[in-house]
Amino acid sequence: MQLTLEDLRKDFKKAGYICDEETVLTVYLSLVLEKPILIEGPPGVGKTEMGKVLAQIFDTELIRLQCYEGLDENKALYEWNYQKQLLKIQIGRRDAGAGQQAGDLFSTEYLLERPLLRAIQAPRKAVLLVDEIDKSDDEFEAFLFEVLSDFQVSIPELGTIKANHIPIVVLTSNSERELSDGLKRRCVFLYLDFPGIEKEVEIIQAKVPQAGDNLTKEIARAVNLIRKNAEIRKKPSIAETLDWTRALVSLNKDRLQSSTIELTLNLLLKNRADQRVFQEQIGARNLWEKSRSSYLG
Amino acid sequence: MHTGNFTDEYKNHKNPCPENIEACNACNCAKGLDGVCSNSDDSLKTAPHKGLPEYLENNIIRFVYLLRAGGVRIGSSEVVDALQALQLVPLTDRDSFKAALKATLIKNAAAQELFERHFSLFFTAPETREGFLKAHQQKLTVQRQQIKEAAQVLSFRGEQMDLSATDKTVFAYMPASEQKRMQNFLALNESRPTLGANYRPFLEKIVKGRLSFWHKQLGKEIEKELNQPDVGDQELNAIRDAAAGIGKGGYNILTEDMQNIARRDLPRATLLIRKMARLLVCRISRRFRASKSRRKLDLRTTIRHSIQYGGTPFLLKYKSRRERKPQLLLLCDVSGSMINYTNFVLQFIYGINGAVKRIESFVFSEGLERITPYFQQGKNFEATMEAIVKKSGEWGGGTSLDKAIQSLFRGYKEELNRNTVTLIVSDTRTVRHQASLKEVQRLRNEVKEIIWLNTLPRENWDKYASVQAFQKITTMFPCNTLTDLEKVLKQRFLKK
Repeated sequence: MQLTLEDLRKDFKKAGYICDEETVLTVYLSLVLEKPILIEGPPGVGKTEMGKVLAQIFDTELIRLQCYEGLDENKALYEWNYQKQLLKIQIGRRDAGAGQQAGDLFSTEYLLERPLLRAIQAPRKAVLLVDEIDKSDDEFEAFLFEVLSDFQVSIPELGTIKANHIPIVVLTSNSERELSDGLKRRCVFLYLDFPGIEKEVEIIQAKVPQAGDNLTKEIARAVNLIRKNAEIRKKPSIAETLDWTRALVSLNKDRLQSSTIELTLNLLLKNRADQRVFQEQIGARNLWEKSRSSYLG
Repeated sequence: MHTGNFTDEYKNHKNPCPENIEACNACNCAKGLDGVCSNSDDSLKTAPHKGLPEYLENNIIRFVYLLRAGGVRIGSSEVVDALQALQLVPLTDRDSFKAALKATLIKNAAAQELFERHFSLFFTAPETREGFLKAHQQKLTVQRQQIKEAAQVLSFRGEQMDLSATDKTVFAYMPASEQKRMQNFLALNESRPTLGANYRPFLEKIVKGRLSFWHKQLGKEIEKELNQPDVGDQELNAIRDAAAGIGKGGYNILTEDMQNIARRDLPRATLLIRKMARLLVCRISRRFRASKSRRKLDLRTTIRHSIQYGGTPFLLKYKSRRERKPQLLLLCDVSGSMINYTNFVLQFIYGINGAVKRIESFVFSEGLERITPYFQQGKNFEATMEAIVKKSGEWGGGTSLDKAIQSLFRGYKEELNRNTVTLIVSDTRTVRHQASLKEVQRLRNEVKEIIWLNTLPRENWDKYASVQAFQKITTMFPCNTLTDLEKVLKQRFLKK
């Protein structure tokens, strides 16, 4: 059945992924145009989550490739199971006369599939999540975009393997470095930023429904205020907001209090420099007062 | 690039574009922005520009031109994607229309703001666009008038001076008091009967010198004016002008001149510098070490391990090149001319000192000062830098590279050997040019290599004799933006 924008919007909501209209539309375009979607944005805004949610929506396998410096084809695409091949030779030698052919050693039986090949060979349309692509080397990026442009892989011993179904590809990047134009050209681009107060309220309501209405709103305002401070280096992510909410719920709080903020700050700000900035420039009492007043929301 | 199919597709679309384009009752075509049926020849005649007729896809292409002129790199395949995407979204909804274009055309976070700005100006009511066009035409008329006036003013005994269009524009942009001063100067010379007509070339030189001084003084403001890319038609130029008038323009931390990097972006710049500093010091040596990444098979160890499997090489062992850390000597120019780059230089010194142990750091302007000890106290960036800036007397002085290197030889001779890589961060502008050149050569003979990171933009190198001279005896790289710095590291240090 043809996917429609309306369906996708509903699916996202059902999966508990709260996002704005632009995000839904961009994902929709990438799905219909069968192009990879490249998601950039600060850490903790739900880039990786998008891959997981799409797998959930389409009820399919999520194949994840985590990138890092030094990641190469062997670990991303395929590798020959050398040990198994050796054993086969050894056994063949023992059962002499079995007519061991060298060619048999390079068959799919001895192929170790890595994420990219798995995604291409998957029996149904899979979701391929290439996480933190900016952490990989240039060479790998070039190799990746070759694979992503025609969704086929050449294995010299076996020939060319074409994708049965073009996978849904989600690439995420923290923009630590500029990605190549070639790769970008093949993707649909989405920039995810931290949600506004209203969206964050919706997220908290969806994920931690036990939190009371007042607490939810106050938390959303407070986190938004902390993120607005330019000096804070590691802005609290959505996951951290949710952790904080859960912590406050488990402490049986139904409103924010300045003493509670002091005590639970460690859940939001996780390095000393940021905590110092918070104490000096924002302050628990001030945050508490501002999160209560409605002018921010 | 765009096929006839698209055209037909949009011609038959009943309500193709939000707000701007309404369906034509006569033939169901997409009416142009000027409200003219796009199937009639009138659309071409009445279009304020001589370019493409106003079909929707042509408008998209013109919009792409505009974005490209703003510095966004957009390939033709992306334009095709955009047009395909537009077929999938409800065109009556402006937000969807915008999101579809943004997702397919804009591929980095830095250009998002630029897109928003241009979108709101381009896809707007026809009257507003006409307003832009009028303002643009008016501006052009004023500019032409100013240049004409400049040519008249800058003359000697009725003969116009041989000045370039740039010179004349600079004159038009000079403060009125300065224009008056130049006029008075010319008038004074004209009134001297002793000066013949052959005096004109001499005057021309003086005037040109003065204008080139003001060109530098006016800096960015005039560069922006002179180097504005021509988008291709007047209306687009007008929108480009309107877009330049609002917002801060395309600002990309990676390509921005380092003196302009905003304070809020410093943490990110620091992160990049630290990462680069780490790469910079991990140079590749010729020796191998055991490795999990599969660079090269280590046959000896593999055979050694095969014994436990009765001689079958069951476990393969690999090796890769050992990274060898050179001894580094960092010389940072902190003189007056480098003052704008202080933030960068400080970050660079701090970043590199955090990444390497075997490093000696110095700052210099008129003299030389060793700052290595400050980094050994394990303080954070702010505290360390405050201590250095407070105690050191070198900040903001003139530059005497020769004296600095002489001090280096006098006090720290033992640091200079064939294993030392010297990094100089400076804009090459120093007094006693020849002496400095000689000293750098002497230093070059003592150490393994001198890498010069030059904060002057690459395109300006030809203008400075000092750059060319130092370039001959050192390995010089532009280091004006973070992208420059990244390139240096890729070129030199990542070759394995």
